[in-house]
Amino acid sequence: MAYVIGPDCTDILDRSCIDVCPVDCIYVGERKSYINGNECIDCGACEVECPVEAIVVDRVAKKNPKFSPYLTDQESFFHDILPGRDAPLGDPNGATALGPVGVDTPLVAALPSNQ
Amino acid sequence: MSKAQKLATDVLILGAGPTGLYGAYYAGFRGLSTIVVDVLPQVGGQVMALYPEKQIRDVAGLPSIRGRDFIAALKEQADAFSPTYLLGRQAVTVEHSSDAAVVTLDDGTRIEAGAVVITAGIGTPKPRPLQAGSQWLDRGLSYFVVDPEVHRDQDVVIVGGGDSALDWADALSTLATSVTLVHRRSGFRGHAATLARVESSPNTTVLTECEVTAFDGDLANGQLQKVTVTHTSGEERLVAADHVIAALGFISDIGPLRTWGLQLAGRSIQVDRSMRTNVPRVYAAGDVADFDGKVRLMSVGFGEVATAVNHVAVELDPDLNLFPGHSTDES
Repeated sequence: MAYVIGPDCTDILDRSCIDVCPVDCIYVGERKSYINGNECIDCGACEVECPVEAIVVDRVAKKNPKFSPYLTDQESFFHDILPGRDAPLGDPNGATALGPVGVDTPLVAALPSNQ
Repeated sequence: MSKAQKLATDVLILGAGPTGLYGAYYAGFRGLSTIVVDVLPQVGGQVMALYPEKQIRDVAGLPSIRGRDFIAALKEQADAFSPTYLLGRQAVTVEHSSDAAVVTLDDGTRIEAGAVVITAGIGTPKPRPLQAGSQWLDRGLSYFVVDPEVHRDQDVVIVGGGDSALDWADALSTLATSVTLVHRRSGFRGHAATLARVESSPNTTVLTECEVTAFDGDLANGQLQKVTVTHTSGEERLVAADHVIAALGFISDIGPLRTWGLQLAGRSIQVDRSMRTNVPRVYAAGDVADFDGKVRLMSVGFGEVATAVNHVAVELDPDLNLFPGHSTDES
């Protein structure tokens, strides 16, 4: 179970969600943030905080064609090897210590500008 | 430390969330004396901290119940056996004697327990660090305002956008020489009325879309002089600062339990099918406990903590049965 950040976060990257996440499981890419589903505790604090309503719970995301690709994309951010890196991020157990990753998934990198 | 007590109990429960409260009931039902410790000032764990007004619909026999009512009912159930609650305190260390686990709390209280059941959920909330000033912590940087008087006649920089940052900026504006409120976003999460007061205060400057990126001063003598504030455009400015207060929210972590020698997986504690950890006399149940096939739900936590406490009962008195009997046998 986890919350999912959809495409509206792209280029906004407000990070209010990060301020309220009690387990520090929201990781910043380059243009968008991503929630680590293994670390997320499903509390929902981020959902109400997002100024562009980019965050939904996975049960909702599955049924919503706008969000559903970002469910698998979010997993891919952690489990696949991102461009320019030589290993998957995995479960880093804390975004603050890791810092911004600085790279997005191919799906997000290819999105048109959202500004 | 003058208030430090020495206590003894059969069972020490660490964490007063739903699982811990039900564990206190169960320990009482088995005739065991019980102490419950929680770092928060109230019982109820995540339910009270995150969703006290939400309806809970996935507990057996309760089609729908408001979070705070559910916690009140769990506490009433536990209180039938008069457990001792030590709230606002944190378990820090464990030592082992021949017949007890001796746990020391952060206020110096020492508790000799026949067994410890850890029901710590997601752990202890601790302040999110301000990376740029980490070496200044407790010198020119703090995460709380304990006594506003400390900041009288200081140049104070407050970082954050929530209610704590706004409340402190508001409270210090009449004491401090200057207050600079720095927030990464353009909008604030905290109350609009407080923000309006802060913005109209003559000695307060509000800098949005900005971050504190460097500290400068005499670190050895703990005398901060100024900080660098960087706007999202890259533009930098220097701000006079005797003290920085960072209110960047909280991150929960398993905290001091990390030093207990427990077998950990991320933020979870590995247990066997009796809810025993690898450390003698120490059990775990609920969200903090992990095993193959784990499902993190309150309903599961209740079963786990009943399992743990029944095994504790037998560990403390091998003549007892593991099966507790039925609660309907009483009364």
